[in-house]
Amino acid sequence: MTLLLPTLAEPLRFSETERWIFITLAAAALTFFWLRFGPILANILQSKKDADFHLRPLGRRVWDFVWEVMLQGEVIRQRPLAGVAHALVFWAFCAFAVVTLNHCATMFALGFLNPASPGGRFYDYVAAVFALGCAVGIAGLFVRRFLVRPKWLGELSWESGLIALLIFLLMATYLGAFFVEDNGAAIRTLWWAHTLTLLFFLPVIPQTKHLHLVLSPFTVFLSRGGFSRIPPLAGDEDFGLVAGKDLTQIVSLQAYSCVECGRCTEHCPANNTGKLLNPKQVILGVRAYLNECGPASDEPLLGKYNAQEAAFQCTTCGACEFQCPVGIEHLPIIVGLRRGAVNTGAWEDDYGGKLFLALERGSNALGLSAAERDKFVERNALPVFDGTQEYCLWLGCMGGYDPKGREIVLALARVMQHLGASFGVLRKEKCTGDPVRRLGNDLLFQQLAEANLETLKQSKVKKIISICPHCVRTIQEDWKEFCAAPPIEHHSEFLARHAAQLAPVQSQKKIVFHDPCYLGRYRGVYDEPRAVAALAGEVVEAPRHRERSFCCGAGGGLAFLGEEKGERVSHVRARELAATGAAIVGAACPFCNTMFRDALAAQGAGAPELMDIAQLAAQGLPEREPTN
Amino acid sequence: MKIIVAIKQVPERDAPIRIAPNAKEIEERELQYAMNEPDAYALEEALQLKEKYGGEVVAVSAGPERVGTVIREALAKGADRGIHIVGDDLAGRDALGVARLLAAAVKPEKADLVLTGLQSEDVGMGQTGVIVAELLGLPHATLILQVEKTETGLKVKRELEEGWYQTIELPTPAVLTIQSGGTKLRYATLMGIKRAKTKEVRSVNAADLGVDAAPVVALERITLPKKQKSTQILTGSAKEAAATLVEKLKFEVRVL
Repeated sequence: MTLLLPTLAEPLRFSETERWIFITLAAAALTFFWLRFGPILANILQSKKDADFHLRPLGRRVWDFVWEVMLQGEVIRQRPLAGVAHALVFWAFCAFAVVTLNHCATMFALGFLNPASPGGRFYDYVAAVFALGCAVGIAGLFVRRFLVRPKWLGELSWESGLIALLIFLLMATYLGAFFVEDNGAAIRTLWWAHTLTLLFFLPVIPQTKHLHLVLSPFTVFLSRGGFSRIPPLAGDEDFGLVAGKDLTQIVSLQAYSCVECGRCTEHCPANNTGKLLNPKQVILGVRAYLNECGPASDEPLLGKYNAQEAAFQCTTCGACEFQCPVGIEHLPIIVGLRRGAVNTGAWEDDYGGKLFLALERGSNALGLSAAERDKFVERNALPVFDGTQEYCLWLGCMGGYDPKGREIVLALARVMQHLGASFGVLRKEKCTGDPVRRLGNDLLFQQLAEANLETLKQSKVKKIISICPHCVRTIQEDWKEFCAAPPIEHHSEFLARHAAQLAPVQSQKKIVFHDPCYLGRYRGVYDEPRAVAALAGEVVEAPRHRERSFCCGAGGGLAFLGEEKGERVSHVRARELAATGAAIVGAACPFCNTMFRDALAAQGAGAPELMDIAQLAAQGLPEREPTN
Repeated sequence: MKIIVAIKQVPERDAPIRIAPNAKEIEERELQYAMNEPDAYALEEALQLKEKYGGEVVAVSAGPERVGTVIREALAKGADRGIHIVGDDLAGRDALGVARLLAAAVKPEKADLVLTGLQSEDVGMGQTGVIVAELLGLPHATLILQVEKTETGLKVKRELEEGWYQTIELPTPAVLTIQSGGTKLRYATLMGIKRAKTKEVRSVNAADLGVDAAPVVALERITLPKKQKSTQILTGSAKEAAATLVEKLKFEVRVL
């Protein structure tokens, strides 16, 4: 069979002159590559060491590498069409490593892949299949970038066009060699065309975003892991990302790895509602800073290269970090910039200052008296945790002080009582520090975390349950910096586990469930709240759901920062949810709840009803026996 | 400009207050403390003056070991050094007794300006600052919202009743008692706390200041205020009810 197929042609002899031309050009290409890549590598290596970096667990890193780099799993999953096109190009590059080496070796009569031998022939054909795939892929990507032009790719870039052309030429000149005679003028021309393209391509790599070719496999392998993991501050002079000297090796590596695909920006709620923040530009801003000032500079990071205003528009929804195909962790960088501004007092904001002062002097982010919480607990006869109950029911600021949040707590309490699960609330509870953590106030965050950890320890709490995904995340992940807290779960997890014991609600309605960022992307919990909502009716999906859920606008402390610029994130999302025609918007976070309450009210009559999943589950309970 | 800020540590606003069996003091057990809010505004005013005109801000506080935290807080927010008048019997001294301590500690500093809150959030007598001024023989003004430096001294804005303000000028050195809300407070920062570690806090024993501790005002008894709550239901049409509500808010509750 193979004998019927054409054989790859090769020039059999090269003149001495040709060899010298090749050596000179190859040396020039490598020199130009290094002239640009050397300083980049130096900037990365000379950045501050990541104090908390551990290579272990190695298994996770190897898996990330195999899935994200080798298999291109995330690239394809999040954007199937462009992802497959990219994967074809990537795989072809891998297959071509051997071909290219052999190609150059033939110049010195050192070729190791004999096109006539069965092994060589086999490999040539394997490479040819990849080359064909690559040519199709790159042509597709070219069409997308220059004809379809999705807005998140930004301005047309001649670099991308040039690269596409070079890759296409590489493939065409390889495939062409199957159709010409050995040692003729045609193969010599193809050989040189392939070689020149290759040598031209090499120095272009570090000059352009195609640097990701070299760096992103390392970026993926060396990532911090986890989601939005904010590194602890190291030493007495670390206040977050203030200046170049604070950029760590991981941050610098990530900044240079950005491939400018714009997925982060495409999914950013702030950017999509007309705000200044553009997560891609944040990363490119850090890169531009490194190029101009270097990693030892005292020049502030917020200023010429990144705007403070933009850094504080982030809702920390994590869509950017989730989407990034090259392993950039945006949140530690954005929160890092905020830390730099807040920990040094450079950030001045009326609302932010008010929130910080409320938490310096009081116990909750709403700035209310702690007595209000006591009254709520007393009035509703919520049991106080005394060490005998199974669960500590963590109220949080919203559950303890916000009228809607309180309704959710009471609904959950009713369901728990019905299920016979024992629980108690703490006498004293402070804000977990979520909003100040995300806004970058490490002092306050530490004070709040430590005070709460002490209370939990003294109360001998073994298990915690909370209605607030922000509390859950902060208690479980962020407090680790000081001391591990008892295990905590979100009420959706508890309710889903007991769903079989709960009766379906009589009047079944159409429910659209909104995934809270801190439950979905942060915790990976998607099915549980849906299973609970399904008790009350048919669950339908909004266009953006699960991993791609669009933020309500409250996260990152923004719920406390007053009027937004541009359109409100919550209004955009509420419209999307209402457009599904569902009778009920199902929520699972008291912050989403408060944002949508206003946004749905703004839609006027006919807007869907808003309910937490705990309230949905409670609807199916038998009528409460009258007490006293 | 050298500015002294006198700061009191008071029970946190939400703290559950219990009265000691002798009915003359409050139980300190399990009590959380914070900086007296008007003093926080006095500190803020001092820091802003320093930022504008240069100089030094010295925080002074009298009380037991625990008041060290408000001095540290003041240093963290930007004060240059602190003076801690250490004494465990402060609760037994009256405003004059405390003012004598403050005046004795402050006098050798020869400051251009002494600032303090107009009153404390716990006892609320509003006396200490004024008495300090008398003891130091300095001019003083109370209820100050804004301070500006002039060629000859100071121009200050005072709060009067019913939304009226008064602007007066006075020479330095002087004592001012600051009203809350005249400016925006800054938040404490990590950098501030770290920098504060190296700043000087001088401890002075209250007994060593050689002032009379005997109170001239006798404290009989402390009681918790009786909780009063009354509900009024406004009748009539929405329009009438709204009009009555506005009237009540204006003239009875006086919040409008």
